[in-house]
Amino acid sequence: MNPLLELLTRSWADILVATWQHVYLSLGSVALGALVAVPLGIWLSSRQNIARVVLSIAGTIQTIPSLAFFGFTLPVLGIGVLPAMVVLFLYSLLPILRNTYTGIREVPGELIEAGRGMGMNDRQLLFMVKLPMALPVIMAGLRISSVYIISWATIAALIGAGGLGDLIWGGMNVYDIWLILAGTIPAALLALLAGFTLGRLEKAVTPRGLRST
Amino acid sequence: MIKFEEVTKKYGNQEVVKNINMHVREGEFMVLIGPSGCGKTTTLKMINRLVEPTSGRILIRDQDIMDMNPVKLRREIGYVIQQIGLFPNMTIEQNVDLVPRLLKWDKERRAKRVRELLELVDMDPDLYAHRYPNELSGGQQQRIGVLRALAAEPSVILMDEPFGALDPITRENLQDELKNLQNKLHKTIVFVTHDMDEALKLADRIAIMKDGRIVQLDTPEMILRKPANEFVLEFIGKHRVAGGGPATVESVMKSNPVIIGPERGVEEALALMKHKGVNTLLVVEQDKRLVGVVTVEKLDKNRRRASTVKELVETDIPVVAAGSPAREAFNTLTANKLDYLPVVDEKKRLLGLVTKTSIVNALASFVWEEETA
Repeated sequence: MNPLLELLTRSWADILVATWQHVYLSLGSVALGALVAVPLGIWLSSRQNIARVVLSIAGTIQTIPSLAFFGFTLPVLGIGVLPAMVVLFLYSLLPILRNTYTGIREVPGELIEAGRGMGMNDRQLLFMVKLPMALPVIMAGLRISSVYIISWATIAALIGAGGLGDLIWGGMNVYDIWLILAGTIPAALLALLAGFTLGRLEKAVTPRGLRST
Repeated sequence: MIKFEEVTKKYGNQEVVKNINMHVREGEFMVLIGPSGCGKTTTLKMINRLVEPTSGRILIRDQDIMDMNPVKLRREIGYVIQQIGLFPNMTIEQNVDLVPRLLKWDKERRAKRVRELLELVDMDPDLYAHRYPNELSGGQQQRIGVLRALAAEPSVILMDEPFGALDPITRENLQDELKNLQNKLHKTIVFVTHDMDEALKLADRIAIMKDGRIVQLDTPEMILRKPANEFVLEFIGKHRVAGGGPATVESVMKSNPVIIGPERGVEEALALMKHKGVNTLLVVEQDKRLVGVVTVEKLDKNRRRASTVKELVETDIPVVAAGSPAREAFNTLTANKLDYLPVVDEKKRLLGLVTKTSIVNALASFVWEEETA
């Protein structure tokens, strides 16, 4: 019997559970990340000096090797889903933050001037002009963030957060290539699916007047 | 209506507007003009508080604008900018009714207003209301820009070089339209430009600015007759200034003849003739280079066979060079029994049109001015 088929029949339930854990671990972190990074990016867009500092901090976090990062949190937060989510959340911030910030900064100056000159207040300027114009860029940040958080979430298994990483690490321990694949393939498919869905959403939120076709 | 009292604006140590006093009257078309960096745009933007004065007061209907809520103030003042600044994420309708929406007009009133405005500039509401700005030409976009400023029926409108980025033909069309609109609506308009022809064409009064000060503020007529100093004379161009009688063709020509581009359609040309009441159009390229003329007879006879003006243009026509004596143009006209004579510069760009009527008008104003002086 084909070893992959055998594995699937034997442990399809484990794979499904691991996939589900993986989904909520990564999407949960990205959702939290967006909840923080989008408002922060908006706030920073009118404060260039603070923005420079914050963006470089977020950039530095990004450079910490993920393996080490999980290690650092171990003494503080212990093991399990929570510390994994904290780390993934921190990683998810930068692309969303940077894209929100640049997206809004790059709204053409004449639109801001026209809006202000016609009597929009700050809130109206944000919701009627800046955000609709920046939305495609913000969505791109969300997409980039999701795709790589899904792949990095596999490492979270090391600190007991579960997910598809469990299968990969387990497979590596017992030299079972099929078990490794059973974790890798769903993780890759999840990343592709997220990339595709959010890519479509990105197009959908682009104002009609801004689409090239 | 709008009063500047000793208004000064400083950026750091640099004074960009120096102690300006100016009174724009109700219903007046006031043009601010001057070289770049003269402070004209800053002066304009102080009226809707996009820039706030360092000292002095600006009053609208005797109320100090610094005592007013800036957001509320701006909703009561129309604003048109050079870069047009239509919101690309909104339809034409949403762009035009933006200020009414901010002012919370009800839906029906807004829809009615949008139709009314689009019809005002001959744009079919059913065709255009639901389009997006990027589906319109530059000229159409700025028409919408002007309508957007008119939407909430403000009594004051500020225009910052609104036609500066348009090609010459479109610019003239929009100037004509604005002038017609103003004749109907009588708004108080403050208009910034660096184009003297535009200023002379549109203004009730012109304020000429230099280095943050107003050098001369007067009607176009008086500025042409009595330039305040050498700078003004230089700025308005010496050839426009009256003195010594009509000497060159420029002083007797009509400076804005009816023109059309070579790529335009035959039907469009006929419609333009009907609209302007002329039987001949001058055909010019985008850069104003004269191609030739096209007549109503020829257009009418060939309206089935030809599609663009280019195919019917007569290129072999007499012209007169800029700077030639007016007398010479007059002689050519009478000797050849011509109705008109285009005036071109050394690069064959069209400057104007000499007709018998334009010569008579020039002579008449010269003679009668001498008598009353």
